[in-house]
Amino acid sequence: MILRAQNLRFAYRADRPVLADVSLALASGRIAVLLGPNGAGKSTLLKLLLGHLTAASGTVEWDDRPIARMKPAELARIVAYLPQSPGFEAGQTVAELLRAGRTPYLAAFGIESARDAQVVRDTAELLQLGDLMDTPVEELSGGQRQRVFLGRALAQEPRAFLLDEPNTFLDLRHQARLWDLLRRLARERNLAILAASHDLNLSAAFADELVLLHEGRIAATGSADEVLRPELLSRVYGIAMERVDRPGKPPVVFPDID
Amino acid sequence: MTRFSARQLVLTLAAALALWGVLAAACLFAGSSGFGWPRDRYLLRVRAEPVLLASLIGAALAVAGVAYQAILKNPLADPYLLGVSSGASLAAYLWRLPAAGLFAGLGAIWSQQAFALAGALAAVGVVFTLASRRGRIEPVTLLLVGVIVNAVNGSIFLFVNAIRPELAQDGGAIAFLVGRIPTNVDGRQVSVAACVCGVLFILLLAIAPQLNVAGLSEAEARSLGVRIGRLRWTALVSASLMTAVAVAVTGPIGFVGLVCPHLARRIVGHDARRLLPLSAAIGAGLLALADTLSRTMIRAVDTWLPVGVLTGLLGGPFFLYLLYRQRNSQAWGEAAT
Repeated sequence: MILRAQNLRFAYRADRPVLADVSLALASGRIAVLLGPNGAGKSTLLKLLLGHLTAASGTVEWDDRPIARMKPAELARIVAYLPQSPGFEAGQTVAELLRAGRTPYLAAFGIESARDAQVVRDTAELLQLGDLMDTPVEELSGGQRQRVFLGRALAQEPRAFLLDEPNTFLDLRHQARLWDLLRRLARERNLAILAASHDLNLSAAFADELVLLHEGRIAATGSADEVLRPELLSRVYGIAMERVDRPGKPPVVFPDID
Repeated sequence: MTRFSARQLVLTLAAALALWGVLAAACLFAGSSGFGWPRDRYLLRVRAEPVLLASLIGAALAVAGVAYQAILKNPLADPYLLGVSSGASLAAYLWRLPAAGLFAGLGAIWSQQAFALAGALAAVGVVFTLASRRGRIEPVTLLLVGVIVNAVNGSIFLFVNAIRPELAQDGGAIAFLVGRIPTNVDGRQVSVAACVCGVLFILLLAIAPQLNVAGLSEAEARSLGVRIGRLRWTALVSASLMTAVAVAVTGPIGFVGLVCPHLARRIVGHDARRLLPLSAAIGAGLLALADTLSRTMIRAVDTWLPVGVLTGLLGGPFFLYLLYRQRNSQAWGEAAT
């Protein structure tokens, strides 16, 4: 297991815990998706796993090492993170953004090794960004941008990848492409992927495991078949849900609206 | 895509030095006595001194500008935003108060420049103290507090000016608000200023790769292995010190720290590893040129125009151009969220 989180508890205010007793493990080459309504604690959990927040109790271990004992650059070589709306500066080019992914590897004064340059080139090739290297990021389409941000994270050569609602600004085709790419990365590079998402069906189509959070606790975990149960989803999301089973494919769920 | 090897770093520094060398040499051709290469060593020295001093100050302000713009995630950030210039101007002005007055004795012991330095550091210290919470600084809070401290300093300045008008002798109170490259500076003072700025420049260059990701969200910077809190403190304190040293010697010279990073960015892009040396060269060269221009204009306008007026006249329109462009680009807004 690349990631092991046990009995995590976190509260911004003592009387209102955001997460309580959350345990999670992530294996290399697998995709897990965190589901749950707004405020269920998905983003907070990601922040705890990244070390951006410290749990009130419980442990987070990356590669069998407690997160508290890791230097930020060490952690950045193991896990990369893609937020909901990644940042960039006006005029910043694709190449500049991809190279930023090598930050945890650079020596003082930012001297790049031959490997640093090679990884950036390979990443650009993998994501078909080779022709766009000198293009400012703001001139790219939403789909291209998402590939650049993905590229920045991949240039970190991480073993795990955390994503916070990666679909937010993408149309359906690009959403499917992104997930397809993530699945390929998981299989081919043995990357462990954990994404927070609101899209139950897309997640079910691509994930190996779904983790449903409800009011700071894990309400269900397992395959799409096990987690996407209408009565459970209705209780968690507060809206009646309907499920359609498809032979050989994950089920599809949607709100039961008259 | 060229790999940023150690050789590239050396080449970048050499190119920046060469650019500055050309601009500085051009400045030596012009003087209040006429154009042409200085006839003798004395005249060369007379012309070289202000060129070197202007270069130092220009480089310091431009480098500070790069750091401020990166950390504050704002292309319109300039080195004076955090109270440095207003603090220095106010302190330099108060230095004129009789020794028995407000700062008993200090005025007699300290030079006006040392007083200005103390004022600049005090102002920026107040800004950092008020804007930080448990050791963390938020760029937006910092900007707000900086603007307010600048305004308060300005008001105190005007208040003192109103009740003690006799303090403002030759040149009036305005002389404290417009920077100029002095000709009668103490050589030791300049050496100290050069050493401080040199060390801080090397420090900022060492953390350049981290500055490159400071424009991203805090979470992204952290997940790239950057200790964002420490980076903000290091960069802002270094940039503020550099600015304070510069302002103490010359008074506030506007727009250099704002405009030069943008000019450099148009040539080498956003990469701080190249941006810092080139901004330093452009800042050094342009301020030396502007100062030379202001000196040669003595004959035309029959008075020594402070270089701060010229940089304002030239830099102001450029600033407006930036604002106009920013209006058409939402990217900074996205980057800042």
